Amino acid sequence: MNSRKTSLSANIIQFCRFLRQKGFTSGMHEESTALQALELIDFGNSKTFFEALKAVLCRNREQVETFGNLYNEYWKKLDLEIDSKEKTKEVRKSEFKKNGSFKSLKTWLYGNQNGETEETATYSTAERFSEKDFSAIHDDENEEIKKRIKALAKRLAAKLTHRYEQSPDIFLPDIRRTLRKNLRRGGELLDIVHKRPKRNRSKLVVICDVSRSMELYASFLVQFMYAIQQVYRRLETFIFSTSLQRVTNDLRQKSFTDVKHLLGNENYGWGAGTRIGESLNLFVEQFGRKLIDSGTIVIIMSDGWDTGGIDKLETSMRYIHSRAKMVIWLNPLSGYEGYKPEVAGMRTALPYIDVFAPVHNLESLKQLGKWL
Amino acid sequence: MGRQRCRLHFLKETIHIVEMIQLDDIKRMLQVQGYFTDDTVAMSVFLSMQLEKPLLVEGPAGVGKTEIAKVLAKAMDTKLIRLQCYEGLDATHALYEWNYQRQLLHLKMTEHNEQSLEEKERTIFNEAFLLKRPLLQAITQEKKPVLLIDEIDRSDEEFESFLLEVLSDWQITIPEIGTIHASKIPQVILTSNRTRELSEALQRRCLYLYIDYPDFEKEWTIVKHKTPGIDSKLAGQITRFMQELRTVKMEKKPGLSETLDWAKALASLHIDHLDRVVIEQTLGVVIKDWKDTREVQLSLGELMEKTGIIPRVDKL
Repeated sequence: MNSRKTSLSANIIQFCRFLRQKGFTSGMHEESTALQALELIDFGNSKTFFEALKAVLCRNREQVETFGNLYNEYWKKLDLEIDSKEKTKEVRKSEFKKNGSFKSLKTWLYGNQNGETEETATYSTAERFSEKDFSAIHDDENEEIKKRIKALAKRLAAKLTHRYEQSPDIFLPDIRRTLRKNLRRGGELLDIVHKRPKRNRSKLVVICDVSRSMELYASFLVQFMYAIQQVYRRLETFIFSTSLQRVTNDLRQKSFTDVKHLLGNENYGWGAGTRIGESLNLFVEQFGRKLIDSGTIVIIMSDGWDTGGIDKLETSMRYIHSRAKMVIWLNPLSGYEGYKPEVAGMRTALPYIDVFAPVHNLESLKQLGKWL
Repeated sequence: MGRQRCRLHFLKETIHIVEMIQLDDIKRMLQVQGYFTDDTVAMSVFLSMQLEKPLLVEGPAGVGKTEIAKVLAKAMDTKLIRLQCYEGLDATHALYEWNYQRQLLHLKMTEHNEQSLEEKERTIFNEAFLLKRPLLQAITQEKKPVLLIDEIDRSDEEFESFLLEVLSDWQITIPEIGTIHASKIPQVILTSNRTRELSEALQRRCLYLYIDYPDFEKEWTIVKHKTPGIDSKLAGQITRFMQELRTVKMEKKPGLSETLDWAKALASLHIDHLDRVVIEQTLGVVIKDWKDTREVQLSLGELMEKTGIIPRVDKL
């Protein structure tokens, strides 16, 4: 592919092609812009040359960051080929798997064989701060989960109420507002105001347990949180183990790679002990008033294994239940046959839960739609 | 290949007509206006001017994205036209609107005139009754203006695609008047905070520039220049502290503008060095979120140690 060309313009075009292989959007248009740019600068200066190409060919932040390396790689390769006439083999971009395979879900369903974690789930009191590595999660699975959650979110957002709201687009004429608005012009109807049915916009709050006992499901949880944040705007996400962290902003990143990196942060207490009571109490104190109202659905994902105070759990759950529209508790364990919510934490919380459902496979994700 | 060369040749011709500015001039020009920059920024601005392409600037809040446009307008000695985007911004707010009230009054006043209906219509759909919004303003200027489209990521996707049309054709059609072509193509700067992904089409139309938080050297220079009368030791301390502060996990990281605010505040208080009391009392200038404030207060000792600010007590 990278055979040496003697003229500069040919080299530039080849460089653009090289970038295209690396995921840049450098088409015809960019090629000609790059050539135009070179007309304007002193391309004898290698630094100027580099900056100019960078300014023209990068389209987003990720590209800005990788451009330097790719630039070096390409022009170094060229230098190597000065004396050789051999053509290097074409590097083919690894093909993107089309069917989301739910690798992480499958692996733990079938005995967790990818070596990510091979310990049994239990709870612990010790605070363990370790960085979590999510690199084993593949991007292609996200698409499928995203699709499922998108369907859920759509259902959430699509509920129309009987009330109307003002609409900037032409929909139904709003007679009352139209008359009112035109009164001051002597009653001549110049502007027509429109209305549309109000949408029922539920807010969502997701509170997710990432403690040691939930470690088996960690990668699924990350995918779930990421996907739901991507498709549903009115959403706040928190994670807790021994204390509570707000991760809404971390999840709002564009690329899943960034999210994996940010969420893996050691301060987030992945795999530490569980203090549901304290964490929920903290949530109620800091965010309860602000985030929970009668239109909010609170989703708590936890197995209910707790080492903290039961009293605090009860008061917090009572508060959340009394203010929120609905409290959904998703317990990965409850998908197993014969599961009974007998853990102390779970038993305490149960009276304040509207929906107690499993999240253990795709089917259960679908079921979730029934409740929302 | 032949076609390519032909194109380049054509370009050469047009550039002679456009004022010929060199790359170094840009850097100097920005510096004179008090904007300190690096090669990447200068190159992007230069190419965007020369190729007449919009420049899309992304980066965290408070690193001087909007400032580029302001400074550029000053340096080019031209008008800065600003379009602030927000959710729900639509074409009428960005392009033009008919001044209904004025039209109505005009009709009332000329009610008993002998003018025919057509004539009346012609008068009220006249440029005098047209309220020019930023985009229309920008293309009807005598001198090439700088058009700043701020926080484009906050607008809706419909508006983005509408903008695309204006940015590529440089003409606006008003049904009652006709098509207005741009007298001078404005220098366009778009800024975005990356709250959502911009469309591929818009990205391709623009040159892209990412501005990150400045490094120590750059921030220090800027602080010293922007706050005259500041103690150079204090400037160093402030900068080092801010650099460390940004490594703390926070909801809203303070940008360069916060650094400058802080430096100005401290300079006007005639403080010549940082200590714990000063930092605690003036932290509100830098951090605007109560959770962050608490977080920073907790790790203040560690931060001060890292930045080499030793508490006053230890000094004695």
